[in-house]
Formats: sequence, C-alpha cells, structure tokens
Amino acid sequence: MPIIQVQNLTKQYKNGIQALSGLNLTVESGEIFSLLGQNGAGKTTLINILTTYLRPTSGAATVFGKDLYREAAAIRSWIACASQRTSIDTHLSLTENMMFQSRLYSVPAADAKQRMTNLIDCFGLGHYLKYPVSSCSGGIARRLDIALNMMTNPKILFMDEPTTGMDIQSRMAMWDMLKKIRNEFGTTVFLTTHYLEEADRLSDTICIMKEGRAAIQGTPNSLRSYLQQDMLKISFETKESAGAAFERLRHFHPLQPSDLRGDSIVTNSENSRGDFGKVNRWLLEQDVRFTGIEVMQPSLDDVFIRLTEDTEREGRM
Amino acid sequence: MSVINILWRNIKWRFHNAFTIVITIVQPILWLVLYGTVAGQTMQGMGTLNYTAFILPGLIVLVSFSACSSGGIMNYLMKTGGRFYRVLIAPVRRSSIVLGQILEAVLCTFLEVAIMCIVSLFFSVRIVSGIAGILLITLIVFMTAFFISGLTYTISLCLPNEVIYETVMNAIVLPIFFLSTALFPADNLFGGLAAAVNLNPFTHVINALRILVFSETVLISSVLPVILLLTVMCGGSFALALWKLTREMSE
Repeated sequence: MPIIQVQNLTKQYKNGIQALSGLNLTVESGEIFSLLGQNGAGKTTLINILTTYLRPTSGAATVFGKDLYREAAAIRSWIACASQRTSIDTHLSLTENMMFQSRLYSVPAADAKQRMTNLIDCFGLGHYLKYPVSSCSGGIARRLDIALNMMTNPKILFMDEPTTGMDIQSRMAMWDMLKKIRNEFGTTVFLTTHYLEEADRLSDTICIMKEGRAAIQGTPNSLRSYLQQDMLKISFETKESAGAAFERLRHFHPLQPSDLRGDSIVTNSENSRGDFGKVNRWLLEQDVRFTGIEVMQPSLDDVFIRLTEDTEREGRM
Repeated sequence: MSVINILWRNIKWRFHNAFTIVITIVQPILWLVLYGTVAGQTMQGMGTLNYTAFILPGLIVLVSFSACSSGGIMNYLMKTGGRFYRVLIAPVRRSSIVLGQILEAVLCTFLEVAIMCIVSLFFSVRIVSGIAGILLITLIVFMTAFFISGLTYTISLCLPNEVIYETVMNAIVLPIFFLSTALFPADNLFGGLAAAVNLNPFTHVINALRILVFSETVLISSVLPVILLLTVMCGGSFALALWKLTREMSE
C-alpha cells in the first residue's frame, strides 16, 4: 500500500534556486526507501516538504492519503525526522530528551517510560544514560537522536543522510539500527544518502534523484545494472594520450563517447575478469603507454553518467 | 500542555546557561548601583527624594529588554542543531511554540527584576503604594516583557545570525532607553525631543511604574491607559511572532 505519493512536485526558493523540478515518487508501507543523490540534488528539500516544514511551490503530495499542506497537523502525529544536524538537546539528559519528545506528541507518561526502556534496550543505549549527552561522539549522538525520534512510535521515520561523516563501524551500527526499526517496530524508513553501497544494502526501494527530479526508481535488484555494474578503468599520463588510446581501443572493445574521462577511460563491464585480461593484453601488444588498469565499483557520478546515456539512447530510439 | 513542555525545556536551557542571566543583568545593576549613587548626589538639589528609586522603573524596562533579547538568541542556538526543526514538525500548535518561548523570557525577566528590586532595597527604595502597587507593577512588568519578547522572537527569525541580531537589538534598545523618562523627568523638554519622548510607549510604562513606586494612593486612571496600551502591544507582538514563524515554514 502506498504510504507516500508525490506527483510533479516543484520547489523554488525565494532566491530563485530550483530545488525540485517535477518530482514523482511512491513509497510503500513498511519498507526502507532510499533517496540517492548528490549534494544539491534536492533530497533535503524533499524531506523538508514531506515532514511539513516547507511548502512546495506546486505539485501534489500525500502521506497516508492526506494532503501534505491542507492536513499537515494530522500528518505530524505519524511522522518523525532525524535531520542532518542532530536535534538532541545537549542541556538535557537522554531520559529528559526522550520524555520531552513524548510530551510533544502527547504520549501518556506511563507509555512513554515503557517505550523509552524498550528503545534503550533494543538499540543498546543503556551505557549512555550515565553520561551527559554533550559528551557523546557524533556517531553516538546520531543514534541517540534516532532513538529519541522513535519515542513517538512514528509510522514513517525520515532520515536525512544519517551516516554522513561516520567511520565504518558507526555506519554498520547505524545500518543494524535501521533494519531493527523496519523489522521490529514496523516503521517505514525514508532515507536519503549519497552512498551507493548503503542504499544497495539497506533498501527495499531506491530512487535515484538528479537535478530535482527522480531519474529512476526500483528495487536494488532491478537497479543492479546501475549500482553493482563493475567498471574497467584504464589510466594514462595525459589527457592527450588517453584520447589517442580511446580512438584505437574503441575498434577493439565497445566504448561510449562518455567513457573518455580526462586522463582515463572508464567503461562498464559485464565480464570484468575477462575484459580486464583482454584489454590489458591488447594494450601491451599494441605498445600503448598507460599507467594503470583496474576493475572498480561505480560511484554515484558513474551511475548518473550511465543513466544519462540510457536516457539519450532511449530518446534516439 | 505543549506550552508548559516547551517552557520547561527552555527554563532548563536557561539554568544550564546561567551566564545568560548574569550577562543580561550586569549592565542594569551597574546603572542602579553606580549611576544611581553618583547621579543621585548631583540631583539632590533638584527635589528628587531618592534618585535610585526614580531610575528603578527605567532600569526595569532596560533589564526586560536584556532578558528578552537573550530569549531571541535561543532561536539561533536551536537552529544550529536540528532542535528548532524537530519542534516545528511535531503536532504542536504554532502558537504554543511561540508562547512557550515568550513565557520563558518573561520568567527570566521576573527573576532579574526581583534581583534588581532586592538590590534597590539597600538604597532605601520602597514601594510606597503597598501590596496593590506591587501587584500592578507585576502586571505591567509581565506585559512589558511579553511585548518585548514577542518582538525579539520576530526579529530573531528575520535576521540571519546572532551577531547581526545583537547589533540590531543594541541599536533599538539604547535610543528607546535614552528617549524616555528613564533617567530624567520630561517636564523641561520641548519641541521635537519632547514629542519623541512622548511617542515612546515605554515613557508611559516607566511613568506608570514610577507612580506605583512613589505614590501612596494609586489612581486607576493613571495606570489603566498604560495597561490598555500594553494589551494592544502584546497582542500585536504575539501576532507578529506567530506570523513570522508560520512564514518561516512556508518560504
């Protein structure tokens, strides 16, 4: 059942910046939905609109079938958001923060205490009750912030880049936390990130966003060709030598014009082991001077280039 | 209930940052103790019985401005993290959010005014009008702080950072303070200066407080117009703060 539906949503700020340009997306109940995009793609603006903080310029958005703008008060009872900047009050203890949040949502005190105990146990946060919130590291503060937002038993938890700037251990702890939120609490998680791996590992649905609109939306499996496609990268000393090699190599191995990227050639490879050996041999036999050859995973930039290529190809057909 | 919850959170913030109370009361206390004593001796020949008591009402207004200005700073601190946003997306009436914050500034003002009044006791300042006068003073201080706090809340949402905010607040407070009857009676003023002092609503607030400090019997006609004026100003300032907060979310 769709829990969030966004149709042709646009947002232009007063300073003229167009953050969203006709965005369409659908989020199903009980899933982890990842919105993947670079900085400035419009992810935070979308979260601000969906959490009733900002008003869109045009378009329609509904949460639980209720209009986001006209029925904002009702929607607020069902949602919570862990924003990019932690919202925990450092002058309050963790317990006081959680009770304050529950009172904001009119949760009865007895229920709030029970829920607080559950959350602290579930997320393993008991250790941090002893210390002032202000003394916690960034990663821990972020986890406390999420637990705090879960105090009100939200049906949807929005999270804006929850793992940005975290080390790998903190990120993995956060991923476990997100899975628990979906599996044990039944909360729909709407997540923004610019990490492909994170979106791929966690999500039931991924929407890739570019320049204020959804470039593509689907399950990680259906987007596998974008997210997990191995890439072959050949590096050269100069742009010129890369260009010359590109012209020769394209007669031997299929290449797209966009595969020439500065002093490198980067191309998708469905058989990375085979292509690696074949191209490496060809470069040596043809005496082409190069500085390195490697198989790599795509970055978000690579995914966008690929998406653009596919869109252009479809346009030509 | 939401108002009390937000008020509780803000009071905890205030006592956690107790230096904000000290900083905002230092200047009015210095005026009361140093200026009151020095200028009091100079004014002895001008018929003023107790100059410290004379300037106390003006300093109450000054301390209200200081305390309420620091309430505006809270918005900037909350915006630095996600706390401002978290409260705004909660199912809480926007008016409760504004009211919770305004009332914290009012309570802080009461605390600072109480300290000022206790200090002034050492300078033989007495509220001659008795319990009724003290109750009326309490009402006027409440309304004055409520008005100023609503105004500072709005200004803090209009200006981009706390440095500009502090500068603007200083630029507002000092002219209001000096173009009033806070330090001198307006009897001998004339022309444009007299008009400016008379147009300043705080002149009338200070005069009403002064009547309550010095007069044994209080004529309701001397206080009621000020209470009515403050009622209108409080309503306007609250509406303005609410409007600005709502606009903040729609931009």
